[in-house]
Amino acid sequence: MTNRPLIFDSWRDLPLEEVLRICRDTIEEGDFSPVLKWRETGGKVLGHFQVYFPQELAHAAGMLPVMVRGAPVDLLHADSRFGSYLCSILKSSLDLALSGKIELDMFVSHPICDAARNLAAVWSRNFDYPCQILYLPQNANSQGTIPYLRDEYDRLLRKLEEISGKKVTEEDLRNSIALYNRSRALVRELYDLKRSEPWKVAAEDAYSLVAIGGLIPVEEHIALMEWVVPEIHKIERNKEDRIRVVFEGAFCEQPPLDMIRTIGRSCYVVDDDFLIGLRWLTGDVATEDDPLYALAEAYIERSSYSPVQHDNRKTKEAMLLKRAEAAEAEAVVLASAKMCEPGLEEQVAYVLALDENRIPYFLSEFEENMSSFGGLELQVETFAENILFA
Amino acid sequence: MITAGIDVGSTYTKVVLMDSEGNVLTRGIRNTGFQLTRVARETFETCLEEVNLAPGDCSYVIATGIGRHQCDFKDLTVTELTAGARGAKFYFPRTCTVLDIGGQTMKASRVDASSKVEAFRMNDKCAAGTGAFLEKTARYMGYTCKEIGPLMETSRQSVPISGVCAVFAESEVINQLSLGTPPGDIMQGAIESLTTRSVQLMKRIKGQPEYTLIGGLLRFKNMALAVKAQLGTEVNVPPYGSCQFACAVGAAKLAQIRANKLGLTGQQNAGVAV
Repeated sequence: MTNRPLIFDSWRDLPLEEVLRICRDTIEEGDFSPVLKWRETGGKVLGHFQVYFPQELAHAAGMLPVMVRGAPVDLLHADSRFGSYLCSILKSSLDLALSGKIELDMFVSHPICDAARNLAAVWSRNFDYPCQILYLPQNANSQGTIPYLRDEYDRLLRKLEEISGKKVTEEDLRNSIALYNRSRALVRELYDLKRSEPWKVAAEDAYSLVAIGGLIPVEEHIALMEWVVPEIHKIERNKEDRIRVVFEGAFCEQPPLDMIRTIGRSCYVVDDDFLIGLRWLTGDVATEDDPLYALAEAYIERSSYSPVQHDNRKTKEAMLLKRAEAAEAEAVVLASAKMCEPGLEEQVAYVLALDENRIPYFLSEFEENMSSFGGLELQVETFAENILFA
Repeated sequence: MITAGIDVGSTYTKVVLMDSEGNVLTRGIRNTGFQLTRVARETFETCLEEVNLAPGDCSYVIATGIGRHQCDFKDLTVTELTAGARGAKFYFPRTCTVLDIGGQTMKASRVDASSKVEAFRMNDKCAAGTGAFLEKTARYMGYTCKEIGPLMETSRQSVPISGVCAVFAESEVINQLSLGTPPGDIMQGAIESLTTRSVQLMKRIKGQPEYTLIGGLLRFKNMALAVKAQLGTEVNVPPYGSCQFACAVGAAKLAQIRANKLGLTGQQNAGVAV
């Protein structure tokens, strides 16, 4: 992979503001130009749906893992494949593929909800390449969970080897894990910065920097983050007296960048669950012994939380309270994608826990194709003012 | 302790400096134009110079108005609704309803005893209920903004301008001109049309006396008279020249509250107050 030409290098030698703009534009335009460039160099692409996929597997097989996370596009094809009662990300993801905006060599979905479970089947009826389901364990607390998941990763790895034509060794996997460990550490550093000095990085910029990691080779993401994060540290910008909030509800479908920008204009978004799949593992994965087992173990033992993973040790509402406390947040923005059953269901537990702990929260819904944010801005500002001038 | 309120409006940028006793030390106003950040900073700096202060002497700055986010030395932004409520209460403490008519928006809000906005309504995206509507009407008839007030005072009998849309209203103005209607009567008709919309907004929020009218349009005294006539009750208007500054005054007052809450009693650098 390291011998391939760079596919996302237009940021090099530019000032920080320009680099952040390039990242924002790449994410906002949703043109997947880095992925297209990758394919032009003869590379193969694995598309994986939200929430989590061990990208190390595809990387070790020499493929580019791309997070398929929908986009704010006009639907041309997907409405004829899915009912109108389903969430937007499902349809826009398929539409991106059907309209040729993104070309894959394999697609993986997960049984995170009924709709996503059916996505691989619908996808496979429309494309010749393999479409698989990664059956992440439903029960995270059983003794057999980690060995089961290890074997499930192994099953998928065999499929990836078939497509890439490359036999993956344990050493390949360990190298990939080490690279992703570095990438995740840089993202954690960015989030530390969001928590400690949120005025230095706009919410939408932090988002774009993480999101770009789902589109480009990990080596390039590391290079980008290794340059950007220290540059952000150097910024001298006035701290404003905004309230600190945690944004919760973007574990699968992503809010439009303008929505993040709108909230970030009157609040400091000090932590969130944006693209949580790319930040799922909260610590380094071991690079000794069996790498597949190490990945499976990390998924269960050192991972974040979302409404689509069920682990008795980390109830979602308790985890949200922890997240808010760790980030010293004064309030929570509880959002949910429209038509998202897991997201909306979890809001009930979140609301009860926040009420009980007297943490103010702002409830909202979003959709990828939202385009008007004036009303939202007024509501968020009023919410913040009520806290500031209580 | 000095605080500042910066109201970056669509037409004018207003700045108010306030001391810890709530006295307005000075105020400044400039055309907003298209360089919002620069105009906000320059207006602020001019105000500081007038009272021999440096930016570091200002403990806390709140920006409000449509361009509030462009103010790069603020400590906080607040909506015009919150700032307007404080500003109205500053001039008239018994205010229960605020009507704010600016260059691009018209807002009616009901406020409680602690100056919190309980309910509000705004005109939608149409400019028909705003200063831009009057400005456009005047310009069509060959008058400048400054001539609107004197022009209205020449009115003997207003003509109805029923358009709820600024574009349609323009057609009505053309018709009236072709009928030989004096421009003063047309202008007065336009302001009465605007008044009707504003009274509707206040009714929708179940507005109660005392009513306080703020915003740039209130510098035309006919506007307040028309609102008073349609409401059938007395209305408050800040002293001449102050109605435009009400949001900036409210922002400065809120800055004071926030600075006190944070214990900022001494000198700070504007923009790094917390």
